[in-house]
Amino acid sequence: MGQKSQAIDLWVVMPALNEGPVIGKVVMAVRALGHNVIVVDDCSGDDTGAKALEAGATVLRHPINLGQGAALQTGIRYALRRGAGSIVTFDADGQHRPEDIRVLLDTQAKTGADVVLGSRFLGHAENLPRLRRMLLQLAIVYTHITSGVKLTDAHNGLRLLTRRAAERIRISQDRMAHASEIIDQIGALGLTAVEVPVTIVYTEYSLRKGQKLGNAFNILIELLVARLNK
Amino acid sequence: MIIQAFLIGGLLLCLLYAIMQRQKSRLLSKAISIVTLTGIYLVLFPEHTNDLAHFMGVGRGADLILYCWLVISIIVSMNLQLQILQLQRLITELAREIALQEPGTGHHRTHAVPAQQVGKPGKQG
Repeated sequence: MGQKSQAIDLWVVMPALNEGPVIGKVVMAVRALGHNVIVVDDCSGDDTGAKALEAGATVLRHPINLGQGAALQTGIRYALRRGAGSIVTFDADGQHRPEDIRVLLDTQAKTGADVVLGSRFLGHAENLPRLRRMLLQLAIVYTHITSGVKLTDAHNGLRLLTRRAAERIRISQDRMAHASEIIDQIGALGLTAVEVPVTIVYTEYSLRKGQKLGNAFNILIELLVARLNK
Repeated sequence: MIIQAFLIGGLLLCLLYAIMQRQKSRLLSKAISIVTLTGIYLVLFPEHTNDLAHFMGVGRGADLILYCWLVISIIVSMNLQLQILQLQRLITELAREIALQEPGTGHHRTHAVPAQQVGKPGKQG
């Protein structure tokens, strides 16, 4: 009974840009577990929105491309308006395993934490290239220094936010710097966060779509600019 | 001299602009007025720039003006940057609310403009 109601007021938010080839499968896999799915189509040029609708997701479409951070915030706001009790963010490219949502939920119930973050370094990272592993580790050190929150994986797209956390966290970094921004706010707002091991499946598709090394530099610049504007 | 008339003309336009901006921001209007009036004074008495430069420890009056101009343009471009950021936030909010207005839930929406024509999406990230 408790588990069932948990599944009903849980909303899974997936920001998506040009994920037409895989989005249907990903949405269906999550829907099969009984969760509500919101796909935020960030003005894709392909049939991402239509595929997600077919698969049973609620689809919000940005009229212009805003970036992944903005898409997450849009999805979170919608979920809150629909009375979500908790919100899971989930990448649309199929790199997360739907089973891990249950792990997040159970951990939240057990620990009472405001935020549960998936960590690929506590769990498994299949086919993670060495260069990307190094880059992610640098990001962890940076996040620890700037936010004071110590994590093993700062840039995992799989997270659970309780309603309390989702109402307070405001993602203003529209592009890719939002992952660090969320951690910053967890630190600044005094929210409690725990990490759980999750498995990330690096397929050829998700690697091609994922972060490039050069992007790390852009993210750093975005964060510095944001700091100056505070 | 022709150059003096030219420069004073430009600076007077600046002064006019500053006066028109009075209601928007008193401080900014005052700052622009002071800078422009100083400019007009120095155009009329160029030899005073040299004295001022020597006093400040700069070799030539023209150099002093160049340095001041550099600082002012940096401040102006930072201010512009901030305004662009603010605009971006507004656009994000606007686009977000539009997206939230019409969620698709199972049936296809009727769009006034087909998605392909809305414009090419920018690169993510």
